[in-house]
Amino acid sequence: MTTTTQSDSGQPVYTGSGTPTGDEEVVLGFSDVDVRFSTEFGSVHAVKGVDLKVRPGEVVALVGESGSGKSVTSMTAMRLLPRNATIGGQVDVAGKEVGRLKESSMRRLRGNDVAMVFQEPMTALNPVLTIGTQMVESMELHGVARGATAWSRAIELLGMVGIPEPERQMKKYPHELSGGQRQRVVIAIAISCDPKVIIADEPTTALDVTVQADILDLLRSLKDKLNTGILLITHNMGVVADMADRVAVMFKGEIVERGTVEEVLLHPNHEYTKMLLGSVPRMGHGRGQMGISVKEEVDADAPLAIELKNLVIEYQRLGKAPFRAVDDVSFDVRQGEIVGLVGESGSGKSTIGRCALGLIPAASGEFRLLGENITGMKRSALKPLRKRIGVIFQDPAASLNPRLPIGECIAEPLVVHKVGSRKSREDKVYELLDAVQLPREVYNRYPHEVSGGQRQRISVARALTLDPELLVADEPTSALDVSVQARVLKIFSDLQEQFGFACLFISHDLAVIDLLAHKVVVLQNGKVVEAGPREQIMENPQQDYTQRLIAAAPVPDPVEQGRRRRERHELLREQGEEIVELKVDGEQFHQSAAQAKGEAQVVEVDDDGRTDGTTRR
Amino acid sequence: MLQFILRRIAISTLILFLGSVLMYVLTINSADPLQDLRESRAENREQLMQARINNMGLDLPWWQRYLGWLTGVSKCFVLQCDLGTTRDGSDVNALLLSSAGASLRLVTVATFLAIFIGVALGVLSAIRQYSGFDYVITFGAFLFYSLPVFWAAVLLKDFGAIRFNNWIADPAVSTTATAVVALLFALALASLLGGGLRRQLVTGLITFVVVFGFVFAFDEVNWWVQPALGLPLILVGALGALGFMLVMTVGLANRKILYAGLVTIGLGLVSYVVLGPVLEDPANWWVILALVGVTVLVGAAVGWVMGGYERRTAMVVSVGTALGMAFLIFMDRLLRGWAGFLELAGNRPVSTIGENRIIPERFTGDFWESIFNWGVQLVLPTIVLTLISIASYSRYTRGSMLETINQDYIRTARSKGLSDRVVFTKHALRNALIPITTIVAFDFAALLGGAVITETIFGWRGLGAMFRLGLDTVDPNPVMAYYLVAGGAAVMMNMLADIAYASLDPRIRR
Amino acid sequence: MTDSKRPDEPDPTPVASPVEEAYSVEKQIDLSQKSYSQGQLVVRRFFRHKGAMVSLFVLVFVTVMAFTSIGYGIIPNWWDKTFYDAGATVDGGRPTMQLWPFQIGEHPFGQDTIGKDYFALTMRGTQRSLIVAFAVGLLSTIIGTIIGAVAGFFRGWVEAILMRVTDLFIIIPLLVLAAVVGKMAEGIWWLALMLSLLTWTGLARLVRGEVLSLREREFVTAAEAIGTGPWRIIFKHILPNTVGTIIVSATLAIAATILLESALSFLGYGVQAPDTSLGLLISTYQNAFLTRPWLFWWPGLMILAIALSVNFLGDGLRDAFDPRQNRTAD
Repeated sequence: MTTTTQSDSGQPVYTGSGTPTGDEEVVLGFSDVDVRFSTEFGSVHAVKGVDLKVRPGEVVALVGESGSGKSVTSMTAMRLLPRNATIGGQVDVAGKEVGRLKESSMRRLRGNDVAMVFQEPMTALNPVLTIGTQMVESMELHGVARGATAWSRAIELLGMVGIPEPERQMKKYPHELSGGQRQRVVIAIAISCDPKVIIADEPTTALDVTVQADILDLLRSLKDKLNTGILLITHNMGVVADMADRVAVMFKGEIVERGTVEEVLLHPNHEYTKMLLGSVPRMGHGRGQMGISVKEEVDADAPLAIELKNLVIEYQRLGKAPFRAVDDVSFDVRQGEIVGLVGESGSGKSTIGRCALGLIPAASGEFRLLGENITGMKRSALKPLRKRIGVIFQDPAASLNPRLPIGECIAEPLVVHKVGSRKSREDKVYELLDAVQLPREVYNRYPHEVSGGQRQRISVARALTLDPELLVADEPTSALDVSVQARVLKIFSDLQEQFGFACLFISHDLAVIDLLAHKVVVLQNGKVVEAGPREQIMENPQQDYTQRLIAAAPVPDPVEQGRRRRERHELLREQGEEIVELKVDGEQFHQSAAQAKGEAQVVEVDDDGRTDGTTRR
Repeated sequence: MLQFILRRIAISTLILFLGSVLMYVLTINSADPLQDLRESRAENREQLMQARINNMGLDLPWWQRYLGWLTGVSKCFVLQCDLGTTRDGSDVNALLLSSAGASLRLVTVATFLAIFIGVALGVLSAIRQYSGFDYVITFGAFLFYSLPVFWAAVLLKDFGAIRFNNWIADPAVSTTATAVVALLFALALASLLGGGLRRQLVTGLITFVVVFGFVFAFDEVNWWVQPALGLPLILVGALGALGFMLVMTVGLANRKILYAGLVTIGLGLVSYVVLGPVLEDPANWWVILALVGVTVLVGAAVGWVMGGYERRTAMVVSVGTALGMAFLIFMDRLLRGWAGFLELAGNRPVSTIGENRIIPERFTGDFWESIFNWGVQLVLPTIVLTLISIASYSRYTRGSMLETINQDYIRTARSKGLSDRVVFTKHALRNALIPITTIVAFDFAALLGGAVITETIFGWRGLGAMFRLGLDTVDPNPVMAYYLVAGGAAVMMNMLADIAYASLDPRIRR
Repeated sequence: MTDSKRPDEPDPTPVASPVEEAYSVEKQIDLSQKSYSQGQLVVRRFFRHKGAMVSLFVLVFVTVMAFTSIGYGIIPNWWDKTFYDAGATVDGGRPTMQLWPFQIGEHPFGQDTIGKDYFALTMRGTQRSLIVAFAVGLLSTIIGTIIGAVAGFFRGWVEAILMRVTDLFIIIPLLVLAAVVGKMAEGIWWLALMLSLLTWTGLARLVRGEVLSLREREFVTAAEAIGTGPWRIIFKHILPNTVGTIIVSATLAIAATILLESALSFLGYGVQAPDTSLGLLISTYQNAFLTRPWLFWWPGLMILAIALSVNFLGDGLRDAFDPRQNRTAD
């Protein structure tokens, strides 16, 4: 049932819908796949009978939250699971049954017929080998090209994925490239041997939202032009809406719902899918989603909680000029107001947050906190001020001391500032546990005994222990699964309404900011790009960068996302920016690869000197 | 990079200076330098004491004594070192010259052997994690780590020197001993190569038969007294070296590079015949060094000519093969010198006292025999020192390797379809070696310390003996001479480790 | 989670619907299970480590034996011979201990050249070695921890000094410095103090490294942001998280000290006659190896047994504190 439609660029696009029928070509098929891990705590049933098929030129999204088994499922196709895994069922890649292949034939399959794109571009490339070496390697291995030919083909590939000056990049090491560029290198390596299917495991999760949009554009043009099948593993419903043809939703090792992207995202049947979609804040839908509300009116005469005037923050570097992380930033936060600080990595938003906490000094300018100028203030003078400020950090795993029981963690600010007696502290902790909806019994438990969202709720409780006038929240929900995030945000907004503290809410997620903030400050490279009331920034941005940023955020609705994508491309064209796509002629690409492989196969000998069924001598 | 090294040199010099002050002060305060005279009943006791006080400057404050020493040392910059005299008036310069050579040879050989063997064992046991081989290496590492050096040295002196001397007088290996040796080899190799039970059995059996055969044959031809490799074994060894190089780089399938290696071996055979007269009794080590240079050049040239578009790999393989073959030829010549040396040494080749079997002035043998004269004495102390260092290197390497193979980029490499061999050698090993470089410096210092003990037990008149002489007589000059050489060597080693670090890790290159 | 609400408590408005509860990826907090602190988990893992348990047994056995057999201070002795009285030499001083039929006999470890009971001598030597090793282990750990923590947290001159002193040990072998200070020391307690002053650097470096990385962790930043003072941060938040490193390293320091002390005594710069130590015994009788091998074997094996079991113990502790290598699936 593959239908061919026309894409924007006028080239044929292969899209599928529904489940493939028997006679259709399937490049990646899972039938009744079952994975168990034996651990020191007994057996863990990670994947429970998964059926899934990917056809050429089709993107199948496997969606789920952490622990759903989506990554484990995909790794069965590469046969790269750790030794303690027991795999049942059948996985077929390009017509070969993976479970029956010998190790040497399996190696020939990897990279050649099925390639992978991983989540972390920072760690996916070997730090001690040049980009060129790592590019050439798989082509030489699979006989696509050798020596000088391979080198020039690698340069060609880097050009295709949109890396500027590819010749120069070949001799660089991974640490000299940015995250987005590294991910492009990984994609270039993946397509270098013209695989029939690519498994992309959270390919954009670690990237900034504008870079994410570029990489998704690249992947989309890749499957359009090369007719490669893509198994997209993600937790992000927006990415699904943007990329997928078909969707399978996984929960605790099982596929609970499947169908075309429209079916699943617009008319979900399963409770879990509904809940998941209900937990995603949507760009452009503004307030009132997921039952989260904030008090809209802020007293215009309320005293200022934070007042920044021409703030400059610099990091000293050994033997180099200091790095200016925050450059001439001015804005303020009123009592009872939530100000969203938005920007991509390296924008300096967290640096401002740390400065507000008195953790790093300002180089120049003025930082007034609750009326007092903290630039150049001594540690001891800061202490009474700190009593009036709460803080929530991003990583729930790292923000609680693993050696302290939860109750003591929450009571710590009271102890440090010598507030109350032992009994009154305990009562306060119980009160806060109630407020963040955790059972009082967790008082004597340790952080490792509760999960991420619960830990983040404990962080919220700790931040509110001293009834602060100001809360600094640095990406408080970025490390959480969406359903968990929704709950933490709900608790947060309820408490803000109740206590009325001012909040500096730092986030890269525009939808969350849209949901909570009264005012938005957009940062880029340490400078303020645009600042103003939420409605103005989110609905009518004036600056190019803000427009691009907002346009790049995907929404979990395929129809709306399709429209937004076209709008984004128009915007980029207007602004004179490039729209990323794979610069290649599909037919020619296939031919040259096939030709090279065909020649290679004649002389190919198993490198262990053994033969097996699938090799021709 | 250069800046990095220069900075390290500056810091090291400063540390060397501060350390010398500390060492000097501690040494002169370690005991009473007149102790022995105070207890003596000699009639001219007072006179002797006064003479020593004048001689050693005991009446001066410590800093004057130190400055005096420092002035002497600073003349080294104009190549006129003056390290002072010992308590008894003999020249420390001369003492140092006669003792430094053997000790530094010992420590350097032990260091490089330990790094090489330790890293290799560590990598192998990481690759074969939880195999029998891994457990043996792990247990062995713990054992050697817990072994008192001096105790092990005394044991080895008995078994390795005294009993070996007795045995070599009438060498014969019993069938049982042969079988045990063969069995050990078989177990090690089978466990190392791994695979299913069947494959391990086959590997073990083949190894057993081969080793048993070799030892038996050696015994028959009295190889222990008149050893040699002979052309066939050299050839087999060279082919083995070629195979190893190929496996480590591109795999055996690559014909072009295989042929380049074979041509190299052919040229090696020719030169073996042609250079026969030269190798009969080379004048000195420079001849050997020159030949090594020629070997490298020839190997590189063959790779260059025959490599085609994989020129670089071809050159690496040919040079590696050439060096392997050259080493075998060297060993062949060296082994042929053994019989002559046995005769010179009266069938007791291993000395239990001293760093030479026969003192060099009285030695009459040729070049090869003279290597045995000090080389055989080097073996036992080296084993003692190396064993303990190997233990730490293999543990560190294993840990580092296991850490590395859990990294994301290793998963990327596997997902490209690379074989385990390439994943380990090309992707994992280099990353795993980075942290190892930092322990080299510490380990070298430990080896220098260990050398003091081993030299004492094996009766070497080396640096350790000089240090002990100084310390026992509360005389700073020999102690400081020791410090200068040992510290200087440590600084050099540290520098090498830093350079290795920088060359392994592109992230710290500037 | 619902069962945790008690009637007398105000009922917080539930945010999560039943559907959300059913399909939440958050694990329910199982309040029926016993709570374990990290320390308890470590102890449990440690007691499951067979090698470490055997080693612990060997170490305790040797220690108890050494301190009770010939007595120490107020501990009474049950072995009737002393390490200083010479007796008549029986059977050339050969050991009388047999495994089958089992018997201890008059002189289980034999007698030395002048007829002293070698068991008593070995026990005395073991006592000395253990005292020095444990004293050094404790003292150098305390010094190293404090200096390492201060260097890692405050950086500055403490760190500079620590790093330069470490550099010093790259240049001067520990054994050489220890020989010089060992010669100065009189009595084993002084020896232990002197050695502690030399051996703290390794641990200090380790602790510094851990503190440097823990400092960047968010819970420390959070503590700082709250206004927690530096010393409270070090002792309450950072050091408890380095306990694993410290304990493991202290154990390994004990093993290293046993070897260092015996080597010094062997060279004549450690424990001095008329007192005795294992190293000194080996040194005294190294030339008797061919005639009276037991004089050489017993003290050597004793050192090996102690060092080996302490090292294995350290390994077991390392596994217990850091079970990463055993855990395979995530």
